[in-house]
Amino acid sequence: MRVKTFVLALALGLAATGASHAQQASEQTPQIKGLFLITDYPAVTVQAGATSTVSLRLQNYGLPPERLALSVEGVPQGWTATILGGGQPVAAAMPAPGKDVSLQLRLDVPASAQSGVQTLTVNARGGSQNISLPIAVTLGKDLPAKLTLEPKLPELRGTPRSSFEYQMTIKNDSGRNLLVSLGAKAPQNFSTTFTEAYGSQELTSVPIEAGQSKDVKLTVRPPAQVGAGKVPVGVTVSAEGVSAEARVVMDIAGQSQLRLTGRDGVVSARAEAGNQTSVPLVVTNEGTAPAEAIELSGTAPSGWKIEFEPKEIPGIAPRERAEVQLLLTPAAKALAGDYMTTVRANSRGESASTDFRVAVSTSTYWGIAGAGIIGVALLIMVGAIARFGRR
Amino acid sequence: MRREGSPFSGLGAVTTKELADHLSSARMRVLEWLIVLTAVAALIGTIQQVRDTVSEDPFVFLKLFTEARQPLPSFVSILAFLIPLMAIGLGFDAVNGEHNRRTLSRVLSQPIYRDALLMGKFLAGLITLAISLVVLWLLVIGLGLLLLGVPPSTEEVLRSFAFLVVALAYAGLWLAAAILFSIVFRSPATAALTTLGLWLFLTVLWPALSPGIAYAISPPHPLYQLLNQPDPDTLVWEQGLARLSPSTLFGEVLRAVLNPATRAIGPIFLEQLEGALIGSPLPLAQSLLIAWPQLVSLIAGTIVLFVVGYVVFQRQEVRA
Amino acid sequence: MNAVIEARNLTKRYGDASAVDGISFSVAGGEIFGLLGPNGAGKTTTILMMLGLTDVTDGEVRVLGLDPAREPLKVKGHVGYLPDSVSFYDNMTAAENLAYTARLMGLDRAEREARIKEELERVQLADVANKPVGTFSRGMRQRLGLAEILMKKAEVAILDEPTSGLDPQATEELLGMIRDLKSHNVTVLLSSHLLDRVQKVCDRVALFQAGKIALIGTVSELARQVLGSGFAVEVEAEGAGLAEKLRVIPGVSSVEATGVNRFRMLADRDVRPEAANVVVGAGGKLRQLSVDEPSLDAIYNRFFQKQNGAGEVRDAA
Repeated sequence: MRVKTFVLALALGLAATGASHAQQASEQTPQIKGLFLITDYPAVTVQAGATSTVSLRLQNYGLPPERLALSVEGVPQGWTATILGGGQPVAAAMPAPGKDVSLQLRLDVPASAQSGVQTLTVNARGGSQNISLPIAVTLGKDLPAKLTLEPKLPELRGTPRSSFEYQMTIKNDSGRNLLVSLGAKAPQNFSTTFTEAYGSQELTSVPIEAGQSKDVKLTVRPPAQVGAGKVPVGVTVSAEGVSAEARVVMDIAGQSQLRLTGRDGVVSARAEAGNQTSVPLVVTNEGTAPAEAIELSGTAPSGWKIEFEPKEIPGIAPRERAEVQLLLTPAAKALAGDYMTTVRANSRGESASTDFRVAVSTSTYWGIAGAGIIGVALLIMVGAIARFGRR
Repeated sequence: MRREGSPFSGLGAVTTKELADHLSSARMRVLEWLIVLTAVAALIGTIQQVRDTVSEDPFVFLKLFTEARQPLPSFVSILAFLIPLMAIGLGFDAVNGEHNRRTLSRVLSQPIYRDALLMGKFLAGLITLAISLVVLWLLVIGLGLLLLGVPPSTEEVLRSFAFLVVALAYAGLWLAAAILFSIVFRSPATAALTTLGLWLFLTVLWPALSPGIAYAISPPHPLYQLLNQPDPDTLVWEQGLARLSPSTLFGEVLRAVLNPATRAIGPIFLEQLEGALIGSPLPLAQSLLIAWPQLVSLIAGTIVLFVVGYVVFQRQEVRA
Repeated sequence: MNAVIEARNLTKRYGDASAVDGISFSVAGGEIFGLLGPNGAGKTTTILMMLGLTDVTDGEVRVLGLDPAREPLKVKGHVGYLPDSVSFYDNMTAAENLAYTARLMGLDRAEREARIKEELERVQLADVANKPVGTFSRGMRQRLGLAEILMKKAEVAILDEPTSGLDPQATEELLGMIRDLKSHNVTVLLSSHLLDRVQKVCDRVALFQAGKIALIGTVSELARQVLGSGFAVEVEAEGAGLAEKLRVIPGVSSVEATGVNRFRMLADRDVRPEAANVVVGAGGKLRQLSVDEPSLDAIYNRFFQKQNGAGEVRDAA
């Protein structure tokens, strides 16, 4: 009996120094024979009012199978200790030779439990064997909830028309599952939306299990009129009174944007066949960066002459406008009626165009000539009256 | 030798008398009924057709003038045919009738010049035609209002009014021609036959003859024949010759005036249509400008024919 | 009295042919002047020139002192014209026809109506005033033409062949009306190829032949000129040597016996009183005494016979 106790003690000692060693020893030293009740962590911390489980293993090395009754001793008042096997409360276990049986010790600790160290002993009693495993349970304080927020690429560059997409990871470093609400603070007229990292569903909050992390995506769209510069966006995630913050930065590059219209928005013009007409055009830079070297061009029916005065605008500052004259000469033989012409302004990739409806009228010279012919006919009549009249 | 006194004294009296004659004459009544009945028949058919086509048309009233419904021709084609008939009917015995009734010398012994007599006759004919045309015009507008239930737009009223003026110019031309022949020929029957013959020739035969004559004057280039395309030079000749006929001129003016989408009369090059918004209506002034040469020809032709008749009349002896 | 119509060397040529060849005459106010001659002698052309209805080739004519070639409207305002076989608009009534010409004259409405009524009564057409002229007889048309002249209150009336185609009674009526015009101090110029008919009303006549005036003057003057003695006095008397006695009466050119106790004397005037004296003085019995007035036909025929016989005589007057 003494020898046996020693062996168990040795085994316990082994287990205390490192499960790996024990296992290694058991696998690598098949000559060891015996029955062992072991756990990885014989001393654990539990929270009051919570349920904790401790993993146990009943190992049989080379002994014939034997029914072992399981019991727990030293359970404090109010606590409940249950041994679970395969998810069910069990009262006995029977490990086959060279096999083990996994067990769990479930501890329901009342909220009112006193702090301190309690030692519970798990006993396995069989006909020939009698094994005990003492477990020191410390009633510890609740672990504080903790969140961390980590943007992967905190600074992005784009134009006012791009959308800025920030991938970020939220980690729940607490022992509990948390419902984390998401918030972003951006200047006015910036639109912010959270979505799943690889999804399109918009989110306002996201559940994260204890110790787990989740990736979300923040999309920020700046208003089109935003000026160039760096815009910080504050991101806050919060749950149960804890929060984490991060700051992402939008580096908005300025961009020129051209708009071409007639003066006062008029996009129609009148012209006389064969005669040059000048139509005032307004080129507006509605962007945020100056537009440079704006070239003007146009397409018109063949035989028409289309020119601009000036042909090129050196530059237009943001929100400024410049006026050019479109010099349009319809073909001399153009028929009266409405025609389409397109005028374009190009500045380094940025371009604007507008269709102009040109109402062509034909020259009234022929009309005057016709009236002249009628006049001549009338003159002939007057002449005839003077010469032959009054009889 | 300068004669004293106004050549227009007595013009009012002559015009009033001739006008009263025209308006009360059986001849005029027959012509008027003929025109009104055919025009109404054409119009009612056209209105039904216009009502059946539901598509939105900003110039639905002008359609009343131009649209034809089988088997009747359109209102304007009927007018193009009947206006000369009416004008010739009014003018063919204007002067020779006075000769034959032997009333000319008695009337001319009154203190008037014969200028007043001729002008009064022409004016009275023109006013009669104008009255008839205005009545027809009102008939179109009235029937249109009644059966279509929409009022015409200002543009439509102006265009149809322009049509009225053009129709009057066309009528004036044939009136002047008829009066000229009534001066030249002593017999009203000869004058009427000659004028009607000229009208039929210019309206029916000439449009059929002019392509052949154009072909003879300017044969198409073999290249165009090979391509089975008309030679522009031949086309120009053809059109120029066809325009010697007042009815061609009248038709062309009407096309421009009553169809605002008309951009040109006669052949045009494809490149002239590049970029054009086909079907977009032209302003009235531009439409008139397109048809202006034709309109001028009609008016100037009227004046010239009148002047020729006038000169011949002035040189005639009063007595037979 | 002043000359109301005066023509001097008036000529009208159509190409080479002369319709009127250098005629000269004058008509005094209140006179009835006859332009007589065969058709185509130039009478109507002369009239048209006086009205300014045809151009004068040469010479001049003055009507009421006005040149019809220069001021035809004024001339036509004062001169009434009744053309050869006058016509009206058949479909219009007499009153309407007159109203039309009244309007051409420039009369105002009230004046027009009053004058039309008055003149239609004067020419005895008042009861058919509202009938179409198409139903009128020739004489009625002529009267209507006269009414038109009366309505104009013309100072000169020019009547071209007013009596042609009229029956004797209508002619008499018309001639009566022409005399009536004269009594209203209207100068009348009338043309006719029927010399005898108008002879009675004309104060003076001009005989046309081939565009020229062959003779001009009163009928008796012409008779004297052409016939030598224009009056033929027929005497039927019993007595001895009457022929010799009658022959010595001054102005008597010849006496011939035309039968038993019948003599025909030719004299340059009416010598009936002297002839009666001679017969009575010779103790003869005067049974009949009559005079034949000279006939224009006779004058005309005699004149052109003489002229043809004498060859080219330019101006027999």
